[in-house]
Amino acid sequence: MNVLDVLDKDLVKVPLLSSDKRGIIVELVETLVKAKGYSPAQSDLILDAVLARESLGSTGIGGGIAIPHAKSDVIEKVTMVLGISRQSIDFDSPDGEMSRIFFLVLAPSKQASAHVELLASIARSCTSKIFRRLLEQARDSEEVVHLFME
Amino acid sequence: MGVPFKQIVVYIDGSESSMTAIMYAIKLAKEHGSSLTAVYVINTKALSELVKAGIFVAVERDEYLRDLALDADRYLHHAERLAEQKELQIETVKLEGTVPVVVKELLKTKGADLLVLGGITDIRSRREELASETDRMMRTAPCPVLVVRDDDDIWFEFEA
Repeated sequence: MNVLDVLDKDLVKVPLLSSDKRGIIVELVETLVKAKGYSPAQSDLILDAVLARESLGSTGIGGGIAIPHAKSDVIEKVTMVLGISRQSIDFDSPDGEMSRIFFLVLAPSKQASAHVELLASIARSCTSKIFRRLLEQARDSEEVVHLFME
Repeated sequence: MGVPFKQIVVYIDGSESSMTAIMYAIKLAKEHGSSLTAVYVINTKALSELVKAGIFVAVERDEYLRDLALDADRYLHHAERLAEQKELQIETVKLEGTVPVVVKELLKTKGADLLVLGGITDIRSRREELASETDRMMRTAPCPVLVVRDDDDIWFEFEA
């Protein structure tokens, strides 16, 4: 399992409009809910799971990237929502750098292997500073998908 | 060169395509009278990467390690049941580490003459870091590799 297995233009939002950490997470979840047609109750369960994980420690990993994630059995298979913000968001990253690129990763509890592999794939794919800059400058979801496919 | 294959190893990771691969491997082993080993690798390399990158906190790493071990038991047990269905002896092996590395070691140790894989994806990007573990295994295996396409026909044929 890697980024390309789950990258879906309908699950990419450019730009994100929120100006704080919680708002970004809510917006990413809303993007998923809209694309997949989840109910308000399901949406709440997903959001609660992501916020509960975030309460253990920030998922801002530095380099302008944050990867909020959680297990949720509302989700049928490992899913990724990718959002790019034009604003710099304080995600409590260890390097103190503000974040602009956000990957929301959700997986059913019984797909731990795929979940772990996807998170590792995201971490690997974002090690290049140039690639991160290109992502930050992407104009729309199509351009984001194109960058990964290059 | 040993043909037909005497010692087949099939890699499973819980994905649908790896389940197709195990079915195919069982049929292949049955028809050729080969020994069959199913291997699942708990990807501790990926877990370490996630902790190092700050994506996982310590408590989360422990939780996922338990989840991965349960996944391994579940899928290896499933492989045993499928083999039993076809009255074939199967050995199941649970390993930990860097997937292509430990699978390569297992292939050498067993003297395997065929590795069966599912889930090879089309080349969609030139970016090396986007290669999957399965892709890496195919490239590094010390023996011939058979890639099983995820195909409904294999499921139907197995159940027949």
